[in-house]
Amino acid sequence: MSFEFVVPESWPETLTLLAQRGDEAFVLAGGTAFTLLLRQGLIRPAYVVSLRRVQDAARIKADAHGGLSIGATATHTDVVRSSAVRGAWPELADAVAKVATVRVRNQATLGGSVAHADPASDAPVMLAALDAQAVVLGAGGARRRIPVDELLVEPFTTTLAPTDLIHSLEVRARRPTTRAVYLKYTPRSADDYATVAVAALANVSDGVLHDLRIFLGAVGPRPMRASSVEKALGSGRVDARAIDDAAALARDDVDPIDDLRGSAVYKREMARVWTARALRELAGL
Amino acid sequence: MKLAQRETIAAPAARVWALVMDLEKAAGCVPGITALTQVAPDRYRGSLPVQIGPVRLVLEGEIAVTARDDAARRATLRADAKDSRLGGTVRATIDVALAESGASTELRVDGDVQIAGRIGEFGQPVIQRKAGQLLQQMAACLGRMAAT
Repeated sequence: MSFEFVVPESWPETLTLLAQRGDEAFVLAGGTAFTLLLRQGLIRPAYVVSLRRVQDAARIKADAHGGLSIGATATHTDVVRSSAVRGAWPELADAVAKVATVRVRNQATLGGSVAHADPASDAPVMLAALDAQAVVLGAGGARRRIPVDELLVEPFTTTLAPTDLIHSLEVRARRPTTRAVYLKYTPRSADDYATVAVAALANVSDGVLHDLRIFLGAVGPRPMRASSVEKALGSGRVDARAIDDAAALARDDVDPIDDLRGSAVYKREMARVWTARALRELAGL
Repeated sequence: MKLAQRETIAAPAARVWALVMDLEKAAGCVPGITALTQVAPDRYRGSLPVQIGPVRLVLEGEIAVTARDDAARRATLRADAKDSRLGGTVRATIDVALAESGASTELRVDGDVQIAGRIGEFGQPVIQRKAGQLLQQMAACLGRMAAT
C-alpha cells in the first residue's frame, strides 16, 4: 500500500492542504488509532496530512487566571507531566494518566482522542465534564470554539467538517470550591478500555454540589451526560442516601451495548455504582 | 444481528403497501443509495455508500423480494451486498409487514443482518447503531412519502 504523506509546518499551511483535498485527507496526530485502522485494513488512505511538525501545535499553557490551553498534538504524557496542567487541573492529568499504557500515552494526542470520537476513550469524557472547549480552525483560518460535549456525536463521528482542524482544547479556570474526579472501572486489566468511566465536576460548599456535571464513558455512543442524576441532586445538601438515590438514575441516562467488557444490563448497574462513588468523592463523604 | 423498526404512518395501508413494494421508489428513502436497476422481476441492483467515522464502505449488491403476500400485506426481502475495497459482505433478510388501524398504518420492519469479513471486525456495535439509524431514517421517510 502507498499513500501520499505530507508534513506541513504551520496551521495555515495545513488548512490550505485540507481545503484542497479535505474530502480524501486523513489528518494524522499521534497516529495510534490511524495505525490500528490501517493495519486492520479498514482504511485505505490516499492522502495523509501529519501534524507532527506544525509549529506550537503541542503547546500547553495556563493563562493568568488559571485557565488552560492544551495544543491538539500534546500527547497524553505531555498532559500528565505538564506543570501547567498539574497546577490548574490535576484531576485532568490524573484522568489522562489512566489511558491505556505508557507506550500509547507517549504517542496518542489529546486532540486526536477528541477527533477520533471513540466512545470508550477517557480524555473526551473528562473534558466534557470540565466543560472544555475545542478551538477549531476552519476553512480560511476562521476560528471558533465548540464545547467538547457538543462536538462528539456518535461513535467515530464529530460535528467537524473534513476541512476543520482541532487547534487546541481549552479548560476554564476553576473556583476555589471546584472539585473534579475521574473514575475508570476496568475489571479485565488496568490498561483496558473502561467498562464504565465517570467524570464529575462540582463547586462544593456547605454540602451542596453546585453546577454539577456528570459524564459517563464507554456506556453509549458518546460521553453520556447523567442529566437525571444532576437534576435529582439539585441544589440541596447531599448525604450518602441522596447520592445513592440519585445515582440509581444513571442506569437510564446511559445507552450501553453488550460486548466483551460486560452486558448492557451489567454496565447500567456499574454506571449506578461508579456514579455513586464519584459523587461521594466529590462531596467528601 | 436483529433490527426492528416500527413507524406509524398517517395513510391507508393500501397506499403504504403500494409505495413500500415499489422498491425503486422506496429506495429513494435510503440515505445515499444509488438508483436501483431492475435485473429481473422483483430483483434489483444498487450500491449504498456508508461512512462510519473514518471507515468508508460502498456496499454493492442485489435486493430481491423472496416472498410476498399482497392480501396480508407482508413480504420478505433478501439483500446480498459486498464491499470489494475493504473486503466484507453483508447479508440481510428483511420482513416487512403493515397493520392498518383506523386512518393510519403501522409499518413493521424486522431485519436479520449478517456481516462478515473485515467490515465485521470494525465492531458489531458500531455497525448495529448505523444499520438501526439507516432503518429509522428509511421508515420515517417512507412515512412522509406515503402521507403526502
